[in-house]
Order: sequence, then structure tokens, then C-alpha cells
Amino acid sequence: MDELKLSEIKQEINKDRRGFIKNVLSGTIAGSLLMVIPAGAMEFPQQIPGMKDETGTFITKKKFAFIVDITRCIGCGSCCVADKNEYKVPEGNYRTWVERYIIDDHDNVFVDAPNGGLDGYTEPREDVTNPVRDTFFVPKLCNMCEKPSCTQVCPVGATYQTEDGFVLVDDKRCVACSYCVQACPYSVRFINPVTKTADKCTWCYHRVRKGLLPACVNVCPVQARKFGDLNDKKSEIYKIMRLPHVISVLKHGMGNKPSLHYLGLRREVV
Amino acid sequence: MEPEYKSKYNAHLIKVILVLIVLGVGVVAAQALFIPRDFGEHGHYRTSAIEDEMNRLVRNQTNESCLKCHPYIKKIHLSGVHKTVSCEFCHGPNADHAVDEKKIADMPVKRGEEIKALCLRCHNKIIRARPEESIKMIAMPQHLEEKRVQTTHICNQCHHVHDPMKWVIEAKKAHGLIKEKEGLFPWMN
Repeated sequence: MDELKLSEIKQEINKDRRGFIKNVLSGTIAGSLLMVIPAGAMEFPQQIPGMKDETGTFITKKKFAFIVDITRCIGCGSCCVADKNEYKVPEGNYRTWVERYIIDDHDNVFVDAPNGGLDGYTEPREDVTNPVRDTFFVPKLCNMCEKPSCTQVCPVGATYQTEDGFVLVDDKRCVACSYCVQACPYSVRFINPVTKTADKCTWCYHRVRKGLLPACVNVCPVQARKFGDLNDKKSEIYKIMRLPHVISVLKHGMGNKPSLHYLGLRREVV
Repeated sequence: MEPEYKSKYNAHLIKVILVLIVLGVGVVAAQALFIPRDFGEHGHYRTSAIEDEMNRLVRNQTNESCLKCHPYIKKIHLSGVHKTVSCEFCHGPNADHAVDEKKIADMPVKRGEEIKALCLRCHNKIIRARPEESIKMIAMPQHLEEKRVQTTHICNQCHHVHDPMKWVIEAKKAHGLIKEKEGLFPWMN
């Protein structure tokens, strides 16, 4: 009886051997695959179509532009909040901000931006005595110039323009000499008191490269901020830029050729 | 004949040449040491700086990524006029709450006056700088007086923050003020 049992067990093992090896092999293959795929590789919803194919150093097939629609902005400051959250911008510094313009019937212009619009606008301006002719909000951010002044003055090559048109800051090389802060005609640069380097809006380059819209564009509840590809004839950006609109850039005469355009811009805005 | 006064010693020359050689080697060594290898490949900058910028942490995500884990809120939020409002505007960035779709910390909950302040950021009429045709605007104590409620009321006592007209429509339907299938905004159906 014992003999029989032993042979049965042997048979069982022999039968199982194939299965066992199979299991071990598949286990190791699956395990090694898990090691290869990085744990942090998150799938982002693709808000900008075709960004998954852009894997090179530069974006090659797209030409990005930013449009701010002044006729839509309600000055809620969502964009400023999103921007502060995205970059942990220190108190008192702003990568983007929203200005309030009030023009009275004597063409006096009143501009203010309490805390950069970060807390929203809660109070009316008390010092406007004449009847108001026009009033609107102007969100400001990096103009991403085609001919940037800031990159030309940097002595250490810490701020540069990529071949896809983004002007970025290399915070490992920056020595915080502030030349670029002075050179920028739009005052979008500042010295970050935490990193002790120059800092500015990047149109959320890290998000764009992953197929996400810039943080401010993503949160705007009234679509006053628009970001898109000029090479894509179906995009809203393309349609706005190619059809008749009241559209302009800030400080046209400086010759920096900004890629940031304003829809419905009044001549009083500087 | 006058004797020639030409020095046979050129130690001074050798010294100058040596100093120049040392300086030259020093400059080359310093360049190799301090200038990154990928500097100047595409321009006067470090090519890997682009990669550094690209790898920055995405802290704000999209409504889509928030609502993936909150199906109940999704149903309400997307059915109302607040569907374009970002989750993270009121609740804070996703990165402080979840990593790889796993919760790491609670989102701070807004209460009372904080909610009112958030509502008024968009809906405050008195700041007088908004476009004519835009979202619904109200002035604060007047709106409460108009609706005949106490002036201490907070917005979310009548309005669901995710779908502001939800309870108003439900109440009106219950009282037979509007028909069963009709909303307050017929163009939105």
C-alpha cells in the first residue's frame, strides 16, 4: 500500500512539474515587466491632441499660442489660485495676475490688482467719482516672445528659448543677477525668494509636454484663457487668429513679437 | 669696438612662457570642470535643463481625474451650470490629496463664510468690472432680502455648490411652480 502511495505522489509531482515551471516563468516575466514600467508613470487625460507623439527634445509639429479673451474674463482669480498651487509660488510673487481696469468718461484710467487678483476682487473702487465708461479685467502672464529680451541679457545661459518657442529658466545655472527681470518689457519675471533664482510663467511647459493644458487655462470657468496649436486648423486658437477679431499684443512697438494675444484689448492697457 | 650687451640668460622668458602655459591649462581645466557637457548643443543653454523643466511635478490635474474616483459628485457636478468650474479651485490641488489614484491626505473642507467668499469671487455684482453678458451676478445682502431669507444665510443653504439650481428646481417642482420635465433654464436641456 505504501508503495502505491509513493508512486502516486511521484506521478503527481511529475504531472505538476510542467505547471510549476510554467507558473514560475510567467511570474518572473510579469515581475520583471513591472520593474521596467516606472511606478510613477501616470496616464493623463490628453487635453492637447497629438502630444504623445512628441517625444524628442523639442516639440516639432506644433506651434503654440495663447489667447486671453478680455471680453470674457470675470476676474474670479481661479487662474491665480491654480498657478500658485501648481508652482507653490511664494507669498507676494506672481507668475500670473489679473488687473482691473476702470476708465471713466473723462478718460481717466484706474488700474489695480490687490494681491495680484489671488483673493479675487471683493470691493469696488471707491476713488472713481466720474461715471464709468468702460471696465474690464486683464490677466497677465509670460508673453513668450519670439524675440525675447530676457534671454539675450542672461550672462550664464540660464534663461533660453527652446526651438519650439518656449522661454524657460534653468534654475541650476541661474545666479539671480536680475538682468532678465529688468530686461522683460512685461515685468513677468521675479527673483523667487525660496529658490533664489529668476522665475516666471512657463505656460506650464511640464503640463503641455504631457498633453495637459496649462493650469490656468484648465481652471478658467468662462474660457477667457485659451491655449492651442496654430498648425491645427480645427483648433479654436487657429480660428480666432485667422478670422476677423479685435486682437492685439501688448507693447507692439517693443518688437519682441509676443505669442500671447489679447482678444478685445483696449488701447489703454499697457 | 664696443662689447655686445646681449644676455645669455633667458630665464625671464621661460618664466613668462611657463606662467602662460599654466594659465592656459587652468582655463581649459576650469571650462571642463564648470561648463556642463550638454551646454551649447542647441544654443547658449543646457539641453538637459529642458528635461528638468519637463519633469516638474504636475500638481493640478483635471476635473476628469478628480471625478474618476468620485462618481456621485460627478453625476451632480456635470449636470449643472457649474460643470466648467474646476474642482481644484475650491478644494485645492490634486497632488496634495492623491498619488497614483491613491488617497494620501484629506482635502480641506470649506465651511460657512469660506463657501460664501468662494461663491462671491465669481458672482459678486458690486465690484463693477465684469462684462455685461456673463454669468449670473448678485449683490450680497440684497439678494437675500429679495429672496426673503435671513441675511445671515450662507449660499449653500439654498444652492448646492456643485449644481447651484438643483434644490431650487426640485423645490419649485414640488410646489408645482414648474413642470416636471422643465428646468429653470430650458435652453440647457
